[in-house]
Amino acid sequence: MTQTTRMSEDLNPEAPRALAEPKSVTVRSRQLKILSYIVLSIFAVFYIWPLYMLINTSLKSFTDYLRDPAGVATEPSLANFTEAWELANFPQYMTNSAIYTASATIIFVLTSLFVAFPIARGYFRGSGAILTMYVVALFLPPALIPQFQLILNLGLYNTRIGFILLFLINPIGMIILVNYIKSIPKELDESAAVDGASYITFVTRIIFPLIRPAVATVTVLHAIGIWNELILPTIYLTNEDYFPITRGLIVFEGVYGSNWPGIAAAVLMLMLPILILFMFLQRYIIGGLTAGAVKG
Amino acid sequence: MTSKRSLWMTLLVVFALVVAACGGGDDGATETTAGGDSPATTSGGGDTDTGGSGGDDVTLRVLIHQNPAFTEYMEAFNADFEAANPGVTVDMSIVAPGDMATSIQTRLSANDVDVIDYCVAPCAGFSNAIQPYMTGVDKPAWQQLIEANLIMDLTDEPFIQNFDEATVRDAVSFDGKVYGINMGRNALGGMFVNQTLLADVGLDIPATWNELVAACETLEGEGFACMTQGGGDTWPIFVGSFGLLGAEFPDQEALSEGLWTGEIKWNEGEALALIEKFRVYATEMLEPGVTGLGHDEATARYAAGDVAFLPTGSWQGANLDGFEPEFDWTYIPFPGSDDSADNQYLFGKYDLSFLIAEDTPQPDVAKAYLAALSDADNYQAFVDATGFIPTQPAATLDSTIGEAVSPLLDNYRNAFEQIWVAPTGAGQWANAWQGAAWFAPFNEFEDAQSLADAAQADLEAGLSG
Amino acid sequence: MAIMNKNYLFGSSSKWTRYAPVMLLVPGVFLYIMIALGPSLATTVYSFTDASGLRGAPVNWIGLDNYDEFLFQGAVSRDNIDATLRTLRFSVLVTFIQFTLGLILALLLNQKLRGRTFFRTLFFIPVILGVVIQGLMWKLFLQPRGGPMASIFETFGLQSEFLGGLPGPAFNWVIVVQIWANVGVTMVIFLAGMQTINTDLYEAARIDGAGGWELFRSITWPQLTPAINTNFLLNIVGSLQAWQLFLVLLGYKPGTQVLGYLVFAEGFGQGDSPSFRQGFAAAASIVLFLLVLVIGFVANKYVNWREERYMG
Repeated sequence: MTQTTRMSEDLNPEAPRALAEPKSVTVRSRQLKILSYIVLSIFAVFYIWPLYMLINTSLKSFTDYLRDPAGVATEPSLANFTEAWELANFPQYMTNSAIYTASATIIFVLTSLFVAFPIARGYFRGSGAILTMYVVALFLPPALIPQFQLILNLGLYNTRIGFILLFLINPIGMIILVNYIKSIPKELDESAAVDGASYITFVTRIIFPLIRPAVATVTVLHAIGIWNELILPTIYLTNEDYFPITRGLIVFEGVYGSNWPGIAAAVLMLMLPILILFMFLQRYIIGGLTAGAVKG
Repeated sequence: MTSKRSLWMTLLVVFALVVAACGGGDDGATETTAGGDSPATTSGGGDTDTGGSGGDDVTLRVLIHQNPAFTEYMEAFNADFEAANPGVTVDMSIVAPGDMATSIQTRLSANDVDVIDYCVAPCAGFSNAIQPYMTGVDKPAWQQLIEANLIMDLTDEPFIQNFDEATVRDAVSFDGKVYGINMGRNALGGMFVNQTLLADVGLDIPATWNELVAACETLEGEGFACMTQGGGDTWPIFVGSFGLLGAEFPDQEALSEGLWTGEIKWNEGEALALIEKFRVYATEMLEPGVTGLGHDEATARYAAGDVAFLPTGSWQGANLDGFEPEFDWTYIPFPGSDDSADNQYLFGKYDLSFLIAEDTPQPDVAKAYLAALSDADNYQAFVDATGFIPTQPAATLDSTIGEAVSPLLDNYRNAFEQIWVAPTGAGQWANAWQGAAWFAPFNEFEDAQSLADAAQADLEAGLSG
Repeated sequence: MAIMNKNYLFGSSSKWTRYAPVMLLVPGVFLYIMIALGPSLATTVYSFTDASGLRGAPVNWIGLDNYDEFLFQGAVSRDNIDATLRTLRFSVLVTFIQFTLGLILALLLNQKLRGRTFFRTLFFIPVILGVVIQGLMWKLFLQPRGGPMASIFETFGLQSEFLGGLPGPAFNWVIVVQIWANVGVTMVIFLAGMQTINTDLYEAARIDGAGGWELFRSITWPQLTPAINTNFLLNIVGSLQAWQLFLVLLGYKPGTQVLGYLVFAEGFGQGDSPSFRQGFAAAASIVLFLLVLVIGFVANKYVNWREERYMG
């Protein structure tokens, strides 16, 4: 039991309480725990195995791979990594993805904050209508085709700005923000107004800190969406220097399509920085994803 | 106070946009920045025009499809072209064949490309033209492009004369005008034969269908595989069966018209017999596990030496050489008929063609590029590198694949996929010429009759609608 | 000021502060109209034309022809309706399985377990890797010739061609990968929901002698309502519009197409004998929209009903 209580868990406010439980419960809970571990491990296998498979494949030569795709690499070599590194401009792709994700997310969050707040409060005539408009947007048809014509006519085809423009909205994000703001007591507005606070000061200084969990959730959801987008870069970006990772990788796969060891090496090289970044930021990412999503 | 804050906010947004706009340029080399800027300036119009005529640096944007031997040739060619034309930079993008149509459509519409390799499925020049007996069908993509005035008329360009007349007429002309250069033909309806392996098990090269069936049995009895294929990509499965289709129906125009008029039905007579042969090919001749092989991967697999046949396009000859196989090989028409006389036609296609965008800001450079590609020496180098069957009378094909294919050229015919257009409203099974790819293990059909019935029903649904 | 409601409280002092909310609202709404609403309405208009999407090509008004072709013409309408039904099947299966698995994983990981962070991170990793890497990993994992899944199948005496084989199984494998890739999000949202439940509720119920299932049914489930609703909507909308995995894993394979992919393929010239038919693709996307709308509407009603019932 002492081991359990020493868990360095961030999401575990009730840990010490376990000590106070009666013995029969403890025995049962131990059985339950073993069962839990079994189930979790079965799941884990399907998350670890593909990773192992990727590493193993990346260490093989193409001929070895063709002879025995799944066998353990007998003469592991890093040749695939150097080759893949030379063939594709992965650092550029990573930089592009980071730029798109960061700038589109920042702009989206800033602009939607000032839409969400007055709508949630009903400060406008037709606030309800605007909110409905966003709810409808959840279900709107994928507007690939007119969007393409729009970007083309704005002269923003195959430009970074044009590409980012496509990611400046997110109806789900807006709805999460509105719902969260609704849970903040309106008396706050009244007292602030009485104190003579201006609208902007109030929204940025008081509301923003209060709805930070929701903002975090929306930020993460939105950023993941951009980071993973595959189709829009296919349509809008033709210059390789603008490719995000997703597009760069699928082009790499198309061009070196048969060479699985090379592709595996490329995938691993792209994964590594993402994973390291994720390890550092995971408290914020996972925390952010959840904090705002469960309230309201 | 308030206005200060909103100013700050505005600045932040602007900053984010600025970061977005030039962040990558700062990281990339100066060269990439220059390349990146060109599409934006061209869509603006005037700037690049003056750049072109003023003899300053010009970027020629070339779009090609991916094929290892071809891509390699193009990279070397571009280097030579840049060396011969100071101030010209070639910015070549390579895309997967499946994305070619999308890239051509979007980049032509955005005026973001100067030279394109028109390799839209089935990558066969101006194929699948609407025939008089076809009614209510969609125009092929190339016709849509021409009618939208996106492709430059090259009829009077001297470099067109380098190519043989039939090619120019059949592959890159529409309505009496010439729109491009076709870089060569490829055989589709043949198969690679591992002669060393056949000799080892004491077999001759099969000349008829029955001999092929028997050869497969012998090979499998000896522990070898009969055929391999890029089954994971789907299209190699049916492209590999084009020779079979041709052996059964040597006059493929007649087959197309017959299906349209109702004189030929998929589920009767010879057509049904053909579909049964598709089944044997797909389910019995191909080795197990080909569903996991990509097209190029299958060639690598074939190079290992324990598979007798690889039915696919002759372009894979150059790639096969690249894997340095330790056996003697040749390329023969698929022996699909019981009558060996029907097994000597070489079914194929006019492969990739280069076109110029009508609105290119640098037409002269683009034409010079095509002229250089058409130049006799360069063209010979292209043929040597890719193994394409030449479409210039002066060029020769000296490789292994060339030796195998040359004697068959008098019997060259366009493969069915270049002729057929399905009626609008026909279901997906109406294209039963792809039937080999619909049998188990690749798709749901188990026997020839049910596939043939589905095919005929879907075809008639389109013909009557 | 006419545009503001009477309940607007801030700054009556200067003109600037009065206009501030409007001016700050405008960028967001403007972007929304320009990027989402406008193009979506334009899609509707497109769907009545024969637009090809090519610059310079003529566009003709053809009324309901695209819809007629999509829904009623020949056998191709059968293929389209199959794609529509397949989209529904994909969405329903993904939503419910992912929801259930995410809930189970969250329940397991909400215990005081050693290595909890490890498991949570592990299950979340695919989300950050993105659809291309997910697809490549699984293509490799599902190699029919000696791949890991093939060897698992072999030990059970089974055989499958996985992605390259029959459309049915291939389609199901996409469902598996879709769930594998996204169950992490569902899980962490549930976990967060569980963390907000007051533990005193459990204590009180235990004293009343409630067992595990009882606790779940009477406390966890109703208390999880916000997380359930979020997950439910995210999964439904996400899965109805998700098709990128199909592109990465299968390509445009007969018997596996879903509506989202069909729109892309028809509008942007993918497929065997491509022609550019953006008008037709627009009609297909309107059909997809109506589908999402009806399902989303029903789901939304259900979610509201749950909220009223459990949260007052």
